[in-house]
Amino acid sequence: MLRTRRGFFDALTRERSTATAAWLSARGHEAYVGELQGQQGRSPRPPLPPGVSEIRISSNENPLGPGPKVLEAITREFPEAGRYPFNSTPSDRNLVEALAAHHKVKPENITLGAGSQEILKNSVRAFTSTAHGLVTASPTFENPTSTARRLGHPVKEVPVDSEFRLDLTGMIAAAPGAGLVFFNNPNNPTATVHGAKDVTMFVERVRAAAPDAVILIDEAYHEYVTDPAYATAVPLALATPNVLAVRTFSKAYGMAGIRVGYAVGHADTIRKLARFKMPYNVSGFGVVAAMTALADQAYLAAERKRNADVRAFTMKALTDAGAKPTASEGNFLFVDVQRPARAFRDGCGMQGVMIGRDFPPFEQSHVRISIGTMAEMRRAVDVFRGVLKPTLAAGGR
Amino acid sequence: MALSRRSFVRAAGIGAAGAFTSSFISARGRENAVWSALDGIVEPLHAAQSEVIIISSNENPMGPGPKVLDAIRAAFGADGSRPGRYSGSQRDLIDALAAKHKVKPENIVLGCGSTQILRSVTHVFTAKDKPLVATIPTYEECADYATLMGNKVVGVSLNSEFQPDLDKFADAARGAGLVFYCNPSNPSSTYVGAKATRDFLAKVNSTSPDTTILVDEAYFEYVTNPDHETFIPLAVQNPRIIVARTFSKAYGMAGLRMGYAVGHPDSIRKLREWDAGTGTSSLNVLAMHAAIAAVEQDDAFIINERARNAAVRDFTMKWFADRGMKPADSQANFMFVNIGRPVGPFRAACAAQGVRVARDFPPFEKTHCRIAFGTMDEMQKAVKVFGDVLARPAAAVA
Repeated sequence: MLRTRRGFFDALTRERSTATAAWLSARGHEAYVGELQGQQGRSPRPPLPPGVSEIRISSNENPLGPGPKVLEAITREFPEAGRYPFNSTPSDRNLVEALAAHHKVKPENITLGAGSQEILKNSVRAFTSTAHGLVTASPTFENPTSTARRLGHPVKEVPVDSEFRLDLTGMIAAAPGAGLVFFNNPNNPTATVHGAKDVTMFVERVRAAAPDAVILIDEAYHEYVTDPAYATAVPLALATPNVLAVRTFSKAYGMAGIRVGYAVGHADTIRKLARFKMPYNVSGFGVVAAMTALADQAYLAAERKRNADVRAFTMKALTDAGAKPTASEGNFLFVDVQRPARAFRDGCGMQGVMIGRDFPPFEQSHVRISIGTMAEMRRAVDVFRGVLKPTLAAGGR
Repeated sequence: MALSRRSFVRAAGIGAAGAFTSSFISARGRENAVWSALDGIVEPLHAAQSEVIIISSNENPMGPGPKVLDAIRAAFGADGSRPGRYSGSQRDLIDALAAKHKVKPENIVLGCGSTQILRSVTHVFTAKDKPLVATIPTYEECADYATLMGNKVVGVSLNSEFQPDLDKFADAARGAGLVFYCNPSNPSSTYVGAKATRDFLAKVNSTSPDTTILVDEAYFEYVTNPDHETFIPLAVQNPRIIVARTFSKAYGMAGLRMGYAVGHPDSIRKLREWDAGTGTSSLNVLAMHAAIAAVEQDDAFIINERARNAAVRDFTMKWFADRGMKPADSQANFMFVNIGRPVGPFRAACAAQGVRVARDFPPFEKTHCRIAFGTMDEMQKAVKVFGDVLARPAAAVA
């Protein structure tokens, strides 16, 4: 299938300029941060052998992208490129309506973000203050933490437990006085998930301990979860004031580059959050792409199955090689490689396999590895085996 | 799904040669029945809107042109997987913009439209004790954001020609955190010449040295007045001046969401420090590729769009002037015209005939309407609707 798709996309791209070709070479979020900090080229690597391409499994992306229907819909939307998203057909309002229909809620229960990151960031801005801070985990997705720090609002980070699951009891204990409690389920980077009973209990107890706190349940990896005990918190968010369930099209829907996310919740909670929304934050193409993806649940089901298969293969290969992945419910693994992440990452990077950055406080032992295609992961695990073989002293420094 | 992948390949494959793209551009209607992905979702919406003339949002009705659309298609990547990746690096677009403006990469920060730029600048440079100063009316993004943050907004009214009194404006700027200077100005469409602007900026710098001035050049490319220059060269040297630009107007990319600020490295660093996280993550890859292509294409694109707009502008303004309704002197892709009656009923009556003009702009909502310039064909149709609505007494329209 990939070969066929590649063939027809070749026809689309044959005439593209060198500027874009250069741009197309994979550069992750880390590279951008490096640019800002003047650290370009900090991990020099010899050129890969001819015919060997870089495998980017560093950012928990869907390696197949959004699929031909979405791309076709974007192309069909070209005549609307000059229209603001509120004027185009479909409009951003139509996307909100489609999401409302999908979740069987009202449009007032939904607000859009330029990716779910805007939602997270704006939640910190809307619900925390110097008096009422953020309660979050460590390690977890860092956007709320960094936003709160930038604003000078207090942050309580509750370490994950020995199984790399969020310490819900510890987070409940930290909740009194909080403005916002961030619950990433499944948790990035540790890949673990909590079941529906745990989530319901957590919300009840946080609300008892901190009645004014908003609880944000970030379900970025929702579609990848296979644990039958898991369920979405969307119904909980609709039934409970001050609870938000947040979703994204960046992961299983394969649209990280298109920037569409949203929050679902009580109309009052959504209204408070939406005051901080950037106007026209989702592009016209993002609108039509998300609507098309939402209407194609078969594509999503295939992606869920594909990821589960490749995840099982990769976890087994790593376990066989002596490494210890946590119980992953996402499209990435958090793996104890028994050596500094940097050493492992650089060893893989030299062979063109790009994995995730450091995740303190586990940067001395754990790496985050995203799930690529089966072909990519077959090659990647060969590289992992080679890097895992030497002792820490030989392979590390 | 009516369309097989093979026929999509065939149809889309023509695009690489450009013919498909040009036909797309000329096709304002939605006759492209070959496309199937959203059948049953989008087609009814398109059908409902196909005859509507949208002249409410100061957009370029021609869109971004074939080079940009081809670049968006190229952004799908060889196997169509690229939109599944985070945008990663902003560097190539920043480099392209730096080359265009002859500045350094550290002089530029990108935004999700200039909207994000305006919000970031307001966030960084206003405070409880450092108000925003802007004309009334003006584009409200900065004022809305300052209000959201609980920071004061000071308004400076315009004169009868819809020009700011620059001395009064500079006086009001004393002690301000930020001056929002939109030139050409939205919604008034008027323009302050290069020398007058330079003098104004120097005066504010001298009388209120801690005040930052945001020069919003969203409509820069549409100006035809020869007394005209960008303030980017000044901004890169002066930490108190920031210039905002957008791809949403003359570049025809309002749907894509890309804008940027140019300024002194110290100001740009402050903006990045506040919003770099969102600054990366709010930017979509299609807009990045589109913007690079837009910057690198021949100057003829903007020159042609300016000339096209000027012809439509002259036609539309003359139509109103001939009927005794004097528009402000437009240097943009829209006009602000005294129709001698409340805009609400006028707008509703025009909308009922398929012409969408802009919302109210207080304090002029009883008299003045903002009308964007569509294509010549659209404006020839629109003025017939205006004539019909304006021929009826205001009370009858209401």
